[in-house]
Amino acid sequence: MSTSFSLYIPRESGMHRLHPLTKLALVAFCLVLGLFLPGVWLTYLVFLLIIVPLAAWAGVLPPFLRAAFKTALPVVISVFLVQGLFWPGGTPILHLGPLSLKQEGLQFAIRSAGRFITVVSSFLLLTFTTRPDGLMLALSQRGFPNSIAYIMLATMQIVPRFQAKANTILDAQRSRGLETEGNLLVRLRALLPLVQPLLLGSIVDIEERAIALEVRAFGRQGPKTSLLVLRDTPAQRVLRWLLLLGMLAVIGWRLYLAIAPRLAA
Amino acid sequence: MIRLRDVTYFYPRATTPALADVTLEIPAGQFCAVIGANGAGKSTLCYTLAGFVPHFYRGKLSGGVEVAGVDVPASSLAKLAGHVGLVFANPFNQITGARFSVREEIAFGLENMGVPLDEMEARVEDILGFAGLRDLAERSPFALSGGQQQRLAIASVLVMRPPVIVLDEPTSQLDPIGSKEVFAVLRDLAATDAATVVLAEQKLEWVAVFADRVLVLHEGRIVADGLPGDVLASADLTQYGLQPTRYTQVARAAQAAGFRADRHDLPVTLEEAVEFFR
Amino acid sequence: MERLRRDFSTITLVMIPVAIAINIAIGQLVYTLKVPLYLDSIGTIFVAAVAGPFAGMLTGALTNLVWGLSGINSFYTAFWITGAIIGLVAGLFSRFGWFKVWWRAIIAGVITGLIAAMVSAPILTYVNGGVTGSGTDVITAVFRNAGLGILPSAFAQGVSSDPLDKAISFFIVWGVIRALPLRFLDRFSRAEDIR
Repeated sequence: MSTSFSLYIPRESGMHRLHPLTKLALVAFCLVLGLFLPGVWLTYLVFLLIIVPLAAWAGVLPPFLRAAFKTALPVVISVFLVQGLFWPGGTPILHLGPLSLKQEGLQFAIRSAGRFITVVSSFLLLTFTTRPDGLMLALSQRGFPNSIAYIMLATMQIVPRFQAKANTILDAQRSRGLETEGNLLVRLRALLPLVQPLLLGSIVDIEERAIALEVRAFGRQGPKTSLLVLRDTPAQRVLRWLLLLGMLAVIGWRLYLAIAPRLAA
Repeated sequence: MIRLRDVTYFYPRATTPALADVTLEIPAGQFCAVIGANGAGKSTLCYTLAGFVPHFYRGKLSGGVEVAGVDVPASSLAKLAGHVGLVFANPFNQITGARFSVREEIAFGLENMGVPLDEMEARVEDILGFAGLRDLAERSPFALSGGQQQRLAIASVLVMRPPVIVLDEPTSQLDPIGSKEVFAVLRDLAATDAATVVLAEQKLEWVAVFADRVLVLHEGRIVADGLPGDVLASADLTQYGLQPTRYTQVARAAQAAGFRADRHDLPVTLEEAVEFFR
Repeated sequence: MERLRRDFSTITLVMIPVAIAINIAIGQLVYTLKVPLYLDSIGTIFVAAVAGPFAGMLTGALTNLVWGLSGINSFYTAFWITGAIIGLVAGLFSRFGWFKVWWRAIIAGVITGLIAAMVSAPILTYVNGGVTGSGTDVITAVFRNAGLGILPSAFAQGVSSDPLDKAISFFIVWGVIRALPLRFLDRFSRAEDIR
């Protein structure tokens, strides 16, 4: 069992050595491109020409692509089926029995799929190449609340334990003869005895965990230090500013495209 | 170093006090064990010394509590962290979850106190050796055994160098091997005299080996206080729901059979037992 | 400000990761049981009930962010806004005592579900092309076929599952609050609103 709920893969790559904020800026840039680029095909270029090369540079390309496809595939298939085949009105370009593929629907599906793939793969790129604690430290050093950093990191370590616990409870209930297969009502009724022990059992531990944190000066105000040291370079600082400008430019361009026709009219 | 004056405490909604008229003084550097049956008030006493009574549990506290020169009820938990270290029974719940390796977990308290990096590194290195965790330094804290996790919890508190360390039954949820590991660390701690230590414990045989002094709590009151040899061998122990060590029990049985009936100082440790029966 | 400080005490900060873990663990469990529900906001609703709307918002938003950013299910990341709104609304219902009576909790759940569907639909439309990639997309297809727009179809899909899902979740949280000792609930800032 993995001890942390994260797909981070440690590697000695240039991408891995970047300051977490630089990686965050890169990913945010891709995200903004994915969400705001106009047209149907441009987002695919972002995926192929920026995100995939970065993943390759980081040395995580095969697992990265696997994870991206696993997440994107159901949505992509569904968007082509639902919007391609059930587009109201529209120009049919291919007849499939009682249904027909509509040109407008196909176009919408291609655009949506490109956007979704870019958004999902941007997040995955950050996950695969960035130590969660490094990212949180970088954010804390820029004034991000320490308490939220704690919540994020603690969650990542607690989730696998809870999943294991949930499965143990499920197995225990099954071996006691609880029906977990069958009709909907049977399966629904199986849920309550699963939820109760998970929730009540964990709540008792919370007091002790709070005490343990207080003992370790978690509630103390004032400057904090860190055992983990993040390396930053002037070049990366410049790059981050450029990426920020790039994001603003793309959003501005998109706004202009949306407003310009109305201004002209 | 630790001064309690007429301390009485009620948990919220409680009608009987968890501590009643406790007056106690523990000088700096002493290793003081607190024994008593379940519900006798050991944990409450520990929480009072560390400030969680009344700052966390609320409830009603009267009397004076002074630890390492700090007036505990008038202070806050944030200020007390680093002054009093607390270790309790469940090793898993003492892991913060905010750090991914044993080394970083130990450093967490120092980071919060703002200790400079080079000093932090040196202190963490030092404690890793003391607690026997050096080989595990890069492991995930969640991938350790119970005994290792408890040593990690102790190390994480010791590294903050609090003048007072309070341990509330630190081995009660460990297997025999884990308990042994933890007691080995505690014995080393007792040998250093660097801190005042208060240890609430049920395993009297260990208490007898390294405590300077033993207190007996019963229904929230201190009913006995003295050297381990005197308190642990006393005939009153059973009436407080405690079992004397097996050395004392064997010696007492031997006396009942007529062996050395004149001796009053019954053995509480293995060494004393060997001497008694020689 | 003082209210906020009380809402975000250390015990609440410790509760939130546990609540998120409960969201995710039960969410995945429900998925494996193939029940057509999510039940992935029970922890969020619980925190909102005991520690108020702001703590609830944070729990909801971070559930989706952690779940998504962990890479386990990146799909969820964009829906952090829905998670936050569920926490906010549940916290407001708690503020006005709606967790004290079981049938009120269920009504509150239905309303929260409707609001969640309303918030999710635009995100679903813009980021996902109006589909979830799960079985409920059949409903979207039916509405699209009937001539409804993408956004209304996505909303209709949400309405078909969210209100029931949140009604059940709210009911479970009501039950959990009954089962917890007062001594524990007293630790939280909003204890007086829920029992």
